Amino acid sequence: MGKNNKSNDNLKGTLYATFGVGIFTIILWLLCFNLFMDRF
Amino acid sequence: MTTATVTKEIKNKNSSKENTTTKEFTKVDRRDAKLALAHIYVAFIALLLGGLAGLLQVFVRSGQFTLPAGINYYQILTVHGVLLGLILTTYFILGFQTAAISRTSGPLSNKQRTIGWVGFWIMTIGTAAAAIMVLLNEASVLYTFYAPLQAHWIYYLGLALVVVGSWTVSLSQGLRYIQWRKENKGKTSPLLSFMVVVNNLMWFVCTLGVAAEVLFQLLPWSLGLVERVDVLLSRTLFWYFGHALVYFWLLPAYMIWYTVLPKIIGAKIFSDSLARLAFMLFLLFSIPVGVHHQLTEPGIDGFWKFLQVVLTFFVVVPSLLTAFSMFATFEMRGRELGGKGLFGWFKKLPWKDSRFLLPFIGMVAFIPGGAGGIVNASYQMNELIHNTIWVTGHFHLTVATTVVLTYFGAAFWLIPHLTGRVLTKKMNDLAVTSGIMWTVGMFIMSSAMHIAGLLGAPRRSEYSTYGGSEQAAEWIPYQIAQAVGGTILFITILLIIGIVINLIWFAPKGEEEFPLAELAHGAEKTPAILENFKLWGVILVALILIAYTFPIFDIINNSPLGSTGYKFW
Repeated sequence: MGKNNKSNDNLKGTLYATFGVGIFTIILWLLCFNLFMDRF
Repeated sequence: MTTATVTKEIKNKNSSKENTTTKEFTKVDRRDAKLALAHIYVAFIALLLGGLAGLLQVFVRSGQFTLPAGINYYQILTVHGVLLGLILTTYFILGFQTAAISRTSGPLSNKQRTIGWVGFWIMTIGTAAAAIMVLLNEASVLYTFYAPLQAHWIYYLGLALVVVGSWTVSLSQGLRYIQWRKENKGKTSPLLSFMVVVNNLMWFVCTLGVAAEVLFQLLPWSLGLVERVDVLLSRTLFWYFGHALVYFWLLPAYMIWYTVLPKIIGAKIFSDSLARLAFMLFLLFSIPVGVHHQLTEPGIDGFWKFLQVVLTFFVVVPSLLTAFSMFATFEMRGRELGGKGLFGWFKKLPWKDSRFLLPFIGMVAFIPGGAGGIVNASYQMNELIHNTIWVTGHFHLTVATTVVLTYFGAAFWLIPHLTGRVLTKKMNDLAVTSGIMWTVGMFIMSSAMHIAGLLGAPRRSEYSTYGGSEQAAEWIPYQIAQAVGGTILFITILLIIGIVINLIWFAPKGEEEFPLAELAHGAEKTPAILENFKLWGVILVALILIAYTFPIFDIINNSPLGSTGYKFW
């Protein structure tokens, strides 16, 4: 049987979602940091 | 089949599955249910009264409303903070945990239950004493009771009794856990019981700080036995407690996410070990971090602030472990149900089930809530938002959405489980509506608070144009938005109270399940080190000593004259 690249048994959604949370956090932090640098 | 053969088979089964407990409990004992319910009743009364105070606050801040009968704005602020931040949370947590212990470790003994009731009454007497002082306008010191604002000594004594009572209730739960461990030597304890004990341990260690502040500083000072108080020391002791308090609120929500939600969606627990590790990390990194609330205090050396900021950031680790674990549980179940593609599994989750939806909304709210928390703790960046209403917006996302929506979602199955009734479809639909309304109301209110905070609007302050200041004028539209959001939230509270009343007295009799997920098949045995409280306790004490010994030594050694008490109301 050949390599099954389309298996439905994976946690790719979890991987992307968890990274998404991290990236959202970093973006929010950077936006606030930008505000901080402008202000102080 | 003879009894001996059955016994032998059970023994073989147990020895082949090392995580299996000796005896399974499926329901909360009726006598324990009464104790749990007593706590939950107080929690929901606090929700109603505290919510009303919150509504009045946002009305006042909109500039369109004046409090009648000489009621002071800071009085209702104190009512709102104490009732919702301290009373609703502490009572719900201890009620839920009593039920959780009884469900997973077994019924409390008569002695353990009596200890639980003694604790409940100590807490309740303390709550009544503090409430009377607040109502008499003798204690409008805000819920953080910051010196040099000085309340009546009965208020401090009342809150001290709440803490002592909570220790007593926690003791009854801890004793049942110890009994389970003795009866099941070498076995891994039930996950939910373990989590309860970790939360109680954290609570006990952190409340030592506030107990010391009240007993040795605020009580003698408010009684007139000493004239002055060391303000910096009192704040440091308060925040030693204050940040862990946030995790005392949050960990029961995590308990529900890790152990209850998988069952509701028809899944198994993703990883027992991961859940226990996350809880132990929360235990370690919740307490030696309080100074990040005092980043603008001049009397604490920058090095210790930096150290505690670094320790604070470690909380990201168990938080993201939890996010990963939850997403994985949902994705595996969604795929089992036929969800395809990257996020097709998402549609398969039980969106119409309030027991799932409300905690799920809570989880989503924790993403911006947690991200905002990282901004708060980022040392210099704290200058941007310190003492602004951004902070209020932040904890209305974390506590007043993540935590309380999870509690409400749990209450909708826990209360009927305890009262011997059922959550009907009609009540479930109303509960779903309440979750959606809460989300809308909180989105409006919390967003307005965050933005106004970035524009410099202060927290804990009555409506003022600050002498016609141009900057203050910018805040007013956001204050009106807060009133709109707050009104939606109060209407939602009335709806939730209606559902709770139905579940206590009017719902049809029957059996509502206390959902509790099992471990996934073939799960590895949980390493014993994760339940080694001595080891984790030593690490915790070491971290606390490292983080706090020198700052407190410095504060005491360079102690100024101290401050006399102030009453501005």
